[in-house]
Amino acid sequence: MTEATTRGDGPTRVVRVGTHPTTVVAVTVVVLLAAVFAVGGKDSGLVTQSIVTGLLLGGVYALVSIGLTLIFGVLGVVNFAQGSMLTMSMYVVYALVAGPGIPVYVATLLAIPVMFLFGMMVQHFLLNRLTSTGSHEGPLLVTLGIQLLIANVLLMIFTGRPKSVGTPVDGSFEVFGAIASYSRIIAFVGAVLVGVALTLVLRRTSLGLSIRAVAANAQGAALVGVNVRRVYALTFGIGAASVAVAGGLMTPFTSLTPSVGEQFTILAFVIVVLGGLGSVLGATIGGLVIGLVQTVGALYLPGTGSLILVFAVFVMVLFLRPQGLYGAK
Amino acid sequence: MKKIASVMTALVVTGGLAACGSSDGGSSDSDTVTIGSIHPTSGPLAGVGGLMDDGAKLAVADINAAGGIKALDGAQLELAGGDSQGKAEVGQSEAQRLIGDGAVALIGTYQSDVTQNVAAVAERGRVPFVIDVAVDDKILEQGYKYSFRVQPDATSMGTSGADSLVKIGQDKGTPIKTVAYLHIEGAFGDSVFDAFKKEAEAQGITTVKEITYPGTNFSDATTQVREAASINPDVIVATGYFPDGVLIAKAVSELGPDIQGLYGIANGAFDDGSFPAASGASGQNVLSANYHYDANNERVTDIRTRFEAKYGKPMETASILSYQAVEVIAAGLEKSGSDDPEKLREAIAGIEIDDPLLAFDGPITFDERGQNENATVIVMQVQGDNVEQVFPQEVATKDLVFPAAPAR
Repeated sequence: MTEATTRGDGPTRVVRVGTHPTTVVAVTVVVLLAAVFAVGGKDSGLVTQSIVTGLLLGGVYALVSIGLTLIFGVLGVVNFAQGSMLTMSMYVVYALVAGPGIPVYVATLLAIPVMFLFGMMVQHFLLNRLTSTGSHEGPLLVTLGIQLLIANVLLMIFTGRPKSVGTPVDGSFEVFGAIASYSRIIAFVGAVLVGVALTLVLRRTSLGLSIRAVAANAQGAALVGVNVRRVYALTFGIGAASVAVAGGLMTPFTSLTPSVGEQFTILAFVIVVLGGLGSVLGATIGGLVIGLVQTVGALYLPGTGSLILVFAVFVMVLFLRPQGLYGAK
Repeated sequence: MKKIASVMTALVVTGGLAACGSSDGGSSDSDTVTIGSIHPTSGPLAGVGGLMDDGAKLAVADINAAGGIKALDGAQLELAGGDSQGKAEVGQSEAQRLIGDGAVALIGTYQSDVTQNVAAVAERGRVPFVIDVAVDDKILEQGYKYSFRVQPDATSMGTSGADSLVKIGQDKGTPIKTVAYLHIEGAFGDSVFDAFKKEAEAQGITTVKEITYPGTNFSDATTQVREAASINPDVIVATGYFPDGVLIAKAVSELGPDIQGLYGIANGAFDDGSFPAASGASGQNVLSANYHYDANNERVTDIRTRFEAKYGKPMETASILSYQAVEVIAAGLEKSGSDDPEKLREAIAGIEIDDPLLAFDGPITFDERGQNENATVIVMQVQGDNVEQVFPQEVATKDLVFPAAPAR
């Protein structure tokens, strides 16, 4: 039962300790960025550009991680298929755009229910029995299998040739001398909206209450009449649906191959653990921080160096705050 | 913390999953000669790996339809497929399997690290290995006797890439002095860059700024391109693979620096058939120095037309190289009149193929390292929906547009 308690405190605790870590993170980020400007020794236009790029990239990371934090944090399932589900939703959007010629952002809206159903079915038919027994290795292996399955089915249908979807809002605009393309800004706004919507669902609706109850104590929730298996399936469905939003919004600026999403899996886990398991706000903030660290860090440590920096930040946060930024306990 | 532990478990499990491979089986009866084809037909590189495998299949089918190997009484060729999954150790075990199954020669593998391992296996097994695509110089620096490479190596691509760039500048009366060079991390990007820098500086390009980017988790090139643009270069040069190439082209177009052109060297994107569609307006006029099929060669046109009809996808250069590699082996079999791998090696080492399918400087002949001596790059340019050959003049299919400022 200790497991269930750890899992569940995420979303509930957010309400109580919400402001404290946000202030700390914000102050740290601002101080560090000011230091980069003041004594970084880089052209200020370049630094501004890297901050804008980093925030927009962070938005993308946040989108991918929000879905994962629910699945990982609430169900305790290490979903290794998260990246593949991202790829899958991109191809769903691609198929809708390339086939019937639906505009990409409308196709994204259509992909949401598709992925929601897919997620529910995965949980209902494949994972429920395993999660109910509290097994960790079982669901993990199942999601690993789903990952291989998705990648290879996509390969079979679409071949491995890179596909692309044109963006209806081509172009970019300048913020403080930095360039930001419209499609990336839309993805960023999408990330914020999904974050806010999910937080509201978790805090204000009865479904959110059930999810939090199940996460806190599945047995207790069952005793007071919550259908635990249904909540599990819905949670996985919501997790998959937010990945659908991520995939759809990323499609205009991504070259699609059947394994394109997998590179995000590891980073998404880093962000989820960094932000605190099950915390939507944590995943959003964590995504932005990691995006900034990677892009601004690349000015000083080019290439893989910026990723080393990302993992250094990760280790440091775990050391100072093992439960993650917004985690409980 | 238990969950974090299970993430670690998962990482270990993913790493261990590399062990499963396909088995098409090879036969060793006297009327057929088996060639092993090792390419990444699953995993992230499955697209190009599949194209290359199909290119080799088409070559085998064509040779068999024309009467097989005449010096061996019309023996038919048979292609045994091996899937490297893009991993060096898998490629290595597939090579061992194919040799064990009786393959008299191998072709492959698209990636330098995989190729390096396969070359070692071929050397030990004393089976000739004709490398279709793999760029790293080091592969042939081991003194191997059984490995041969059809495409130019990294150094030669960097060098002739620089040479072509300087010549283009001179021809068009806009000498190039300053270059910002974006390349992917690792042996491929480093070695092409080093060779470029050496040749460029010898030819009067004064400044070469190097900017590297990671091969993984790279999904926005804006900062790197902005850094490149910060030295006001005449040209931005890029070396890397497909997704990163598209990101760079898009970022250059968004930032709109005052440059004479975006120029790829050994770039996996800029002369790929899917690049014009993937990059849209930002891809227009992008230049690319790379090895390329010879678009003016009628035999190439015929092969490409039939390939597209048969497999429903355009035959890219990598696939043509696989076709060419099978032809090299077939010519070796004709010359040696034997399917003994050692005799075949002798024959390939001294071979001369007069009508290469690629725009090379001359016939395919191998030096003592096993490198094709006449392999070289030509310059392509995106014009409209097509990738056209533009430089040198002898191979041009369209006129070069230069200066070629990026579209905004």
